[in-house]
Amino acid sequence: MPPAPLPRQLDELSELLGQMCTTVAGALQRATYALLEGRERVAQQVVAADADVDALRAKVEEIATDALLFHAPVAGDLRQVVSAIRTAGDVERMGDLALHVAQAAERGRPLPGQVRDDFAEMGRVAVQLALKAAEVARTRNVILAVELDADDDAMDALHVHMFGVLMDPAWPCGVPAAVDVTLLARYYERFADHAVVVARETVYAVTGKEPDAIPI
Amino acid sequence: MRDVYQEQLDQLADELAGMCYQVAEAMEKATRSLLETDLQLAEQVISEDIRVDEIRATAEEKAFALLALQAPVATDLRIVVSAIHGAGDIERMGDLALHVAQAARRRHPQPVLPAEVAPYFAEMGTVGVRLARKAGDVIRSRDLGAAAELESDDDAMDDLHRHMFSVLMDPGWSHGVGPAVDITLLARFYERYADHAVAVARRIVYVVTGRMPGPLTV
Repeated sequence: MPPAPLPRQLDELSELLGQMCTTVAGALQRATYALLEGRERVAQQVVAADADVDALRAKVEEIATDALLFHAPVAGDLRQVVSAIRTAGDVERMGDLALHVAQAAERGRPLPGQVRDDFAEMGRVAVQLALKAAEVARTRNVILAVELDADDDAMDALHVHMFGVLMDPAWPCGVPAAVDVTLLARYYERFADHAVVVARETVYAVTGKEPDAIPI
Repeated sequence: MRDVYQEQLDQLADELAGMCYQVAEAMEKATRSLLETDLQLAEQVISEDIRVDEIRATAEEKAFALLALQAPVATDLRIVVSAIHGAGDIERMGDLALHVAQAARRRHPQPVLPAEVAPYFAEMGTVGVRLARKAGDVIRSRDLGAAAELESDDDAMDDLHRHMFSVLMDPGWSHGVGPAVDITLLARFYERYADHAVAVARRIVYVVTGRMPGPLTV
């Protein structure tokens, strides 16, 4: 079968990356629900579905490699192809982090009451970031991408707050719960970081510049 | 022409290998700053991380130039694509060494680690540094046997990581929540550092064989 023309491959890459972001947003949403509500079955479904994200990533790499091989793209097109390869890695990692949250939910240790709302909020912020990253990947909208960079501040604030709660001498839930909470908070924070990287990659692919250099 | 091209590919590999040695050194120093509560050393690791980021930027420029000007195919294309992935992994290893140094700085002059867990971190540091150096060697040699060795080194890291958790979760843990939180994150940094080194080696296996050796452990 002859390779598709380059513009079609580029469209397909954007579409697949968008789909990957939407998929991991859904995974983290369900994983957070499983964590908050102690729903082990839902957690198991998230774990099982992670292979879908890996398959999408493989598809992205295949199309990107074909594009390099058959069309030898240059300039903006080359940036888009390379950035698709890198972005797919970031989104796959987001899927892994959602998986880690689901695995924590599967273990069935209930989340301490005093951090429940914080995790609900981290979940909400992270899922929003991933959905926005999906739109950025699909539409290649630079303004939206630069915006996403700032949205991550909300996650950082939540993450810092969480450490304040843990380090408070009055933390009543013991060390094992603190260890669980530390890692979970880290998973959400990293998930959000990768969503930001997706946006930064898109800015770079479209403009050839890092987001900090964009006067928005 | 062909020779210049081969030279560029070799240079790209050298650059990445150099990055591996650099992040190995960073982790070695970061671990020492952690174990010896050495603020100056921690600061040094933190200020030197920018160099890793710079090498990454240069390596990526080289990779782009190769793609744009030489339109490589087959193994050469795999090399360039793997270099782009590898540069990302190695930069992340630098970030993780930086996080270790930041933890040492944050708690200074207090030690981060209670004496009884320090030896495990010394060992995690040793294993991590060895993995980073081996990843650098594998980039140069493309030796599949050496690439496979990284997998077993990584198992050693996973064992140390698991052991660290059993120490923390033990009802006899007497150091309270604060140090436990620090140790949880630090152990995770070492474990992720090792995973990225393995990812680099796996990409080399892919360059040589055209196949990825199984999924990454996460």
